[in-house]
Amino acid sequence: MTTRLTRRTFLATAAAGAAVAGFPLPLRAQAKTFKIGAVHPVTGPLAEPGQACRLGAQMAVEAVNAAGGIKSKGGLRLELIVGDTQTKPENGRVEAERVVAQGAQMLLGSFDSGSTNAMVSVAQQRRVPFLIDIAAADPITANVAKSVKEGQQKVQYVYRNFPTGSGFGRGAVRYFTEIFAEAKVTPTRVVVMYCNDLFGQNQSRGFMAAYKAAKPAWQVVEDEVIAWPEPPTDLSTEVSKLKSLKPDVIAPITRPASAQLLLPEIRKQRVESLGIVGPGSPGLYEAGQLAALKEDLEYVLTSVPWANFKNPKTTGVAEAYRKRSNGKTFDTNSGYSYDAVFVIADTLERAAKLDDPDAIVEALRTTNYSAGLMQYGGPIVFNELGDNPNAIPTMIQILGQKPVAVWPREAAVQKLVFPRPKA
Amino acid sequence: MKPAALLVAVAVLLALPAVLNAYALTIFILILFYGFLAQAWNILGGYTGQLSVGHAAFVGVGGYTSAVLAANWAITPWLGMFVGAGLAAVLGAIIGYLGFRFGLRGFYFVLLTVAFAEVCRILVSNIDALGGALGLYITFTGNPRQFQFQDQRVYYYIALALMLLATAVAALIERRRFGIYLTAIREDEGACEALGVDTFRYKMLAMVVSSFLTGLGGTFYAFYLFSLQPNTVFGIPLSVEIIIRPIIGGAGTLLGPILGSFILTPLAELSRQYFGQSGLHGAHLIVYGLLLVSVVLFLPQGAYPYLRRLFNRA
Amino acid sequence: MAVGLTLIFGVMRVVNFAHGDMMVWGMYLAFVLATRIGLDPYLSFVLCAAALFLLGVAVQRGLVDRIVDAPHEMQILLMLGVALVLENLALAVFGPEPARIRSLLARLTWEVGPLYVDVARLVTFVVAIVLTLALWLFLFRTELGRLIRASADNPYGALVIGADVRRIYAAAFGIGAACVGAAGALVAPILPFQPTTGLSLSVTSFNIVIIGGMGSLVGAFIGGLLVSVAESLGAVFLKPSLKELFSFGLLILILLLRPAGLFGKRAT
Repeated sequence: MTTRLTRRTFLATAAAGAAVAGFPLPLRAQAKTFKIGAVHPVTGPLAEPGQACRLGAQMAVEAVNAAGGIKSKGGLRLELIVGDTQTKPENGRVEAERVVAQGAQMLLGSFDSGSTNAMVSVAQQRRVPFLIDIAAADPITANVAKSVKEGQQKVQYVYRNFPTGSGFGRGAVRYFTEIFAEAKVTPTRVVVMYCNDLFGQNQSRGFMAAYKAAKPAWQVVEDEVIAWPEPPTDLSTEVSKLKSLKPDVIAPITRPASAQLLLPEIRKQRVESLGIVGPGSPGLYEAGQLAALKEDLEYVLTSVPWANFKNPKTTGVAEAYRKRSNGKTFDTNSGYSYDAVFVIADTLERAAKLDDPDAIVEALRTTNYSAGLMQYGGPIVFNELGDNPNAIPTMIQILGQKPVAVWPREAAVQKLVFPRPKA
Repeated sequence: MKPAALLVAVAVLLALPAVLNAYALTIFILILFYGFLAQAWNILGGYTGQLSVGHAAFVGVGGYTSAVLAANWAITPWLGMFVGAGLAAVLGAIIGYLGFRFGLRGFYFVLLTVAFAEVCRILVSNIDALGGALGLYITFTGNPRQFQFQDQRVYYYIALALMLLATAVAALIERRRFGIYLTAIREDEGACEALGVDTFRYKMLAMVVSSFLTGLGGTFYAFYLFSLQPNTVFGIPLSVEIIIRPIIGGAGTLLGPILGSFILTPLAELSRQYFGQSGLHGAHLIVYGLLLVSVVLFLPQGAYPYLRRLFNRA
Repeated sequence: MAVGLTLIFGVMRVVNFAHGDMMVWGMYLAFVLATRIGLDPYLSFVLCAAALFLLGVAVQRGLVDRIVDAPHEMQILLMLGVALVLENLALAVFGPEPARIRSLLARLTWEVGPLYVDVARLVTFVVAIVLTLALWLFLFRTELGRLIRASADNPYGALVIGADVRRIYAAAFGIGAACVGAAGALVAPILPFQPTTGLSLSVTSFNIVIIGGMGSLVGAFIGGLLVSVAESLGAVFLKPSLKELFSFGLLILILLLRPAGLFGKRAT
């Protein structure tokens, strides 16, 4: 009786092991392609941006292949192996391992910093160059740079083409200063409010740090930064507190859920201000938010990474994206993933050999690419930490129920409206 | 299960890394790791019948402790692991003391554990020194002294060792009088007390052992995935992952949690692969829920006892 | 919301872990009704209540009924399973993004002297009181209500007098679910909700019911008021992000000090 169990267990385990081992059998495609593992959170709480990233990457791969592939390597075509992290760090690791086992020679991803860091360990362990299209936490690249500097790791395989948390902060502070100067006002009671989750804390920290470093003429009410648990059930108390501080500018860092509560509450409690200027957060410009909040979003400004719509190529891609995604805007998520694929293509053109990861990394590290569709402050390059110092946010404003770039001037599609007109 | 069968199974597990590719290896690492956490929980939840839906708190405490010790004072996680586990045990003792002293049973105890886990989560999310909601990011160095390995197989063996450790502890408990007391407490605490058994002491012991082991797991998690976020390591989803394996596999049995992990981890992975393509969110959790409901209704003792009965009859 | 939970516990000693998630389904139902047929949630809450009543009865008959005599752990796990299924089904069907219903009422504020009163919240409050009163009347003045209370106090006694206990349990669960359905619809215009909101709603319900006392209708109502006031005060005096901490801390305190709550009967 128990012997049968033994044999069965053994066979079962072995069979299971073999099945799982053989499970992702990489079927060598007939035509050789260069495989990129694109790992994003396409299901789970971040599904919407995750799916946007994946679609952006897919469209870019198709565009590169349609234009002839990697010309210097005989027209080699790109192929995406897609993965889903569900926003869980362990899945970041699992998916990275899986796509590498299936032949991916580079990694792309992965939006949330936890999964991204898990992928970093795989990238470094297996020597797979990893281009981060979206993830803001500074330590992700900084830690790798540090361990290379200290000799713990030989090569840095991780690079990021996206503003870092501190980069966001610096950009926002710069825009605040410039916008206030343009409107000829010097607010002294800027009240910062933020959602107390990973994103909100990172952004507010970055913003306050940059503010303290810059020492601008305008002032934040430093001891009274208002935070709320995300997602909130009720923000009336927080907004009452805001009102009692008599703000002249309200600077909220929100998520879609909290934005839906915050803005109507501000209106309901009649909190007057020169304007609502966000240091940078989702929730203030997406199609779904505009539909839910309507006039409450009008004139709201926020500093976010944005596509450069003055570039005709961008508008073309945006239109194609709109069709393929059933009406979604070509925004930060789809945009940066799109650009990342093109950066990879450019890297592969310049790489000495494609079967040596160190050669690819060398080409990646020395990138100088100017054909990006997003708004950059210069060509795409990577500094000693592996970040792109020219990845900057843009100040957009909701005008006529549409988000448009209004600052810096060279990016502006419409004129800035600040202070907001009296209701 | 006969010792011979066990040895064969362990031998197979030891040999697996030689034949598996990196992806499959990762899955097995997760199976073993979650099996370890499941077994640790089993000591309190299965054998003693005290349902804790807040065990993630111990993972979090263990992980954060060793991560902070490593980052700020360069204390090797090999040592930090035990400090973390120790702190987790302290937390367990506190929860246990409060819960058992005040006579909280069943549903109330569950709520207490959930409340404590959430309190920890919120506290850690708000303490900047611990990284706040952003969490802690661990630098990848591949240095074994820092509990990091360039080769994934080492992680596999560590996870295996942890799982075997927890199972050994559970087996030890099962055979000793301690285990018998725990089972008695689970079946009828009132009767035990009437017989003069110090239920408080035994429950506390089970709680401390369980939380200590779980705390060890926290360090593994931190140095395998390289980041700690309060919502992930203290959150209810992790607690659910921890309890569902022993429950489906067979709470209060030695092999139940392991079987549960072998069933559920690949299941979650497969459902993610399958449903992920069509963008169906959280499908594997629906499966978990359905499994949980079915097991409670039809197989209240879990899969392992059922299978054992089946094979014994055959 | 809490009233429904306490009713279910009081009658069947089953703790409905899926309470919050049922409420979320109530909210989504109101959302669908609002967006598809344009029915205002302040009117559709009746429908939502009815739909959730059916759901409650189904859950009770199909699942809970089988384990009414089973050890507590099994019940807890069962409802946990139901909660998981409900929450993730909502996730699969409606997606993870927050949804909100726009109701005309939700945009109004009423000036009363120096105070601004949120009309939506006021209406919700009034309706909640009315519903609670209606439920109280039902339980204390109707035949079925009396039977329900009898079964809660003494299941065997109820059997003796020939009450169809199974039907009564089904009714009780159904009504409990209906309460939560109505609550969901009423609250939906005020609160953006996602499938994951279920957990915090469950916790709040438990908080209220434990403070007020399991099985006591009055307790649930008073408990609700107390908890909301406490949370708001907490938000004013503590860092707002610690608001959640406060409610959990409160729960722990209450669990330790008075698990029977203010008005509850001692747990058997």
